[in-house]
Amino acid sequence: MTALEDRAVQRSVDPATQSMLRIAEKQGIETVWERLEAQLPQCGYGELGLCCRHCNMGPCRIDPFDDTGPQKGVCGATADTLVARGLLRAIAAGAAAHSDHGRDIAHTFLLTAEGKSGGYEIKDEAKLAALAAEYDIATEGRSKEDVALELAHAIHAEFGNQSGPIRFTRRAPAARVALWEKLGVDPRGVDREIVECMHRTHIGVDHDYVHIILHGLRTSISDGWGGSMIATELSDVLFGTPEPVMSTANLGVLKENEVNIVAHGHEPTLSEMIVAAALDPGLAALAKEKGAEGINVVGMCCTGNEILMRHGVPIAGNFLQQELAVITGAVEAVIVDVQCIMPALPDLAQCYHTEIISTSPKAKFPGATHIEFNEEQAFDIAKTIVRRAVENYPNRSRERVSIPDDKTECMVGFSVEAIVKALGGTLEPLLDAIRNGTIRGIAGVVGCNNPKVRHDYGHLGLVEDLIANDVLVVNTGCNAIACAKAGLLLPEAAEQAGDGLKAVCQALGVPPVLHMGSCVDISRILVACGAIANALGVDISDLPVAGAAPEWMSEKAVSIGTYVVSSGIFTVLGTVPQVLGSPNVTSLLTAGAEDVIGATFAVEPDPHRAAVLMLRRIESKRKALGLPFVDPESIAMPEPVTA
Amino acid sequence: MKTVFVNPERCIGCKQCQIACAVEHSKSKNLYQAIAEDRKPRPRILVGPGVVLDTSFPNKCRHCEPAPCMSVCPTGAISRDGDTGTVVVDADKCITCAMCAMVCPFDVITFYPSYKATLDKAVAIKCDHCIERLRRDEVPACVEACKVGALVFGDINELVKAARTKLAQTVSVAVGQIEPATARLPANVEAWRDLGRAVTQAGREVES
Repeated sequence: MTALEDRAVQRSVDPATQSMLRIAEKQGIETVWERLEAQLPQCGYGELGLCCRHCNMGPCRIDPFDDTGPQKGVCGATADTLVARGLLRAIAAGAAAHSDHGRDIAHTFLLTAEGKSGGYEIKDEAKLAALAAEYDIATEGRSKEDVALELAHAIHAEFGNQSGPIRFTRRAPAARVALWEKLGVDPRGVDREIVECMHRTHIGVDHDYVHIILHGLRTSISDGWGGSMIATELSDVLFGTPEPVMSTANLGVLKENEVNIVAHGHEPTLSEMIVAAALDPGLAALAKEKGAEGINVVGMCCTGNEILMRHGVPIAGNFLQQELAVITGAVEAVIVDVQCIMPALPDLAQCYHTEIISTSPKAKFPGATHIEFNEEQAFDIAKTIVRRAVENYPNRSRERVSIPDDKTECMVGFSVEAIVKALGGTLEPLLDAIRNGTIRGIAGVVGCNNPKVRHDYGHLGLVEDLIANDVLVVNTGCNAIACAKAGLLLPEAAEQAGDGLKAVCQALGVPPVLHMGSCVDISRILVACGAIANALGVDISDLPVAGAAPEWMSEKAVSIGTYVVSSGIFTVLGTVPQVLGSPNVTSLLTAGAEDVIGATFAVEPDPHRAAVLMLRRIESKRKALGLPFVDPESIAMPEPVTA
Repeated sequence: MKTVFVNPERCIGCKQCQIACAVEHSKSKNLYQAIAEDRKPRPRILVGPGVVLDTSFPNKCRHCEPAPCMSVCPTGAISRDGDTGTVVVDADKCITCAMCAMVCPFDVITFYPSYKATLDKAVAIKCDHCIERLRRDEVPACVEACKVGALVFGDINELVKAARTKLAQTVSVAVGQIEPATARLPANVEAWRDLGRAVTQAGREVES
């Protein structure tokens, strides 16, 4: 069988994924890739954003070809309105997901301050003090619980804030804040903006596409500089601010002779407790009794990133590998909370002994076992869940176990604090390297997996090109996991970097690609950009930086892309957003936004071409800052690779 | 003879076939590029609404034999492909006289500029059974796009036979006064149709 005939190779560049896909095919097991094939061709109205189900005069769609066909919905909404409204609702859903995650962390923080949470504590007092100072809360002579209580109330109030500003937005450079205020996109609160998205997109409310999209910017800022940032900051206070730590990544982290528990989803509240419960001596003894050598907790997706960053807990894979973990036949339990958990899992688990355990009061899965989690009894519930997994070990069918060998070492845990520490306590060495051109700039590469893109191909192709061209890459989410698996998160990966970046990485002993955390931790990238811009006395839009989401698929990614652009950072998307049905909206997002907010989106599925777009942007920003630069147009654009 | 067989009772009116048809008849064959082409590609299958709400019929060239359009075309622009029996238009021979459209029993010939024509003027546009796809052993684009089985491609007699068998089963069930276990539509779709009929009927009662 040649490589091209091998469907597994066409679907993923990751060797562990390829071997599991061959096993799935042999066993006749359906995965996300078969389900995508069954959906093809996908609806053109949907792909172009030209359908609307917002009222019951509809559903309506606009004919993109035939101008004698319908060009307006029943209410009279045009393609521009339909597309902008659809985009706004996607932003609302994405911002809601991140911000509700932030609310849950804030709730845990409040309960902990009140002494009511079961097993949590305030681990990072320095960060608590820093946040208290930011909120003008006195710390002198007060207990940490007392300070935490006041801070918890102040942060809780951000969600229901009606008149703004959200405190963390003021971490952005003054010029950026002034621009947001001038455009009327400075968020007034977290929940308010999301609710207003739903109001504006109701039948007969907001129809001007520019006006609709401006509110999208405002809502996304309330996510990136609001809900997401709250999630990150309070997670650090509760669970510790990440510091560099070594770990391993890919399905090979599952163990043949141990109870394997996969923590999958997004929030650290549960996974932290699962990690703690797995260390319980009683449960370890039970595991031995059941014939296992131990209990092996591993992560998947962003909840995996959270415990990877803070405890070095191995990570089994990214979004498209969740089904494959079950197909190894070696997983006793997949414990899930919220976001990016495929409802396909319980059906799939029926073919194996694996138990899917849902835990969030917000998320149930038909066919899964639901053990509801709450912060008050967190540790006890975590122990119950781990016990269930241990007790499931004897049900494992040995002959069906096939764990791929692939696993790779990685260095993770680069919070902003950890980066500053690695630089010797100040950003200055990094700024110098950027000023003199040793490092050309910084790229944030983030986002999901999407079966429309060859798994990890978009992520790796882009990151490799960027570091080879002396661009420091910071990443989160599924991109970070892709890079971990490919060995790009090792200091030795500096060998793949250009000479400048390589020298800096080798001097500091850090990888050329810095794992900054989960998808809410993109807020760390914003904080870093804000700090760098402030240090240079410019706006974020003046910096030699760029963003990308090569394999994005979720509504959260729509919100992320929008707040990154709203923060002044040019962003390249690897899959096509559902907006092309309106040439006006498309042109606003990819061109017009430059003059409004100082950045635009671009769409480029080919990672090598995407890298060139980002390099050109970085060099043009270097030029504008008066730094040594390469003529952006002299950077050759490779021909697109045709399949 | 192979053809696109329409099961109108299964059509849910999504018009995905129209989009797929237009993309297939574009120069780029790519949705995102096709919407920006100078000579905008047009669908050759058109989903028309039925008299009763929530009913529809995807209408397209039936490739008649003999084909009235072919018989009246004064320039010989319309011919029949020997291998597939498809009635095709040579865009460069078409003089846009519209004789074909006048005699077409299904009113499915329209006139728009086509990337296949040398001149940038309207020419006769109609279904060509995606003849290039057929030669690659692929089904027409509309059939591939149809997710509900309203459009199927195959030998006409076999498709008719399959439909006839289903009809016979349903009738026999009805005759036996047995709960129609072999009913052709899921209950929710039937309920949706019933409601559509009720809404249509309600409007009529007010009128009369």
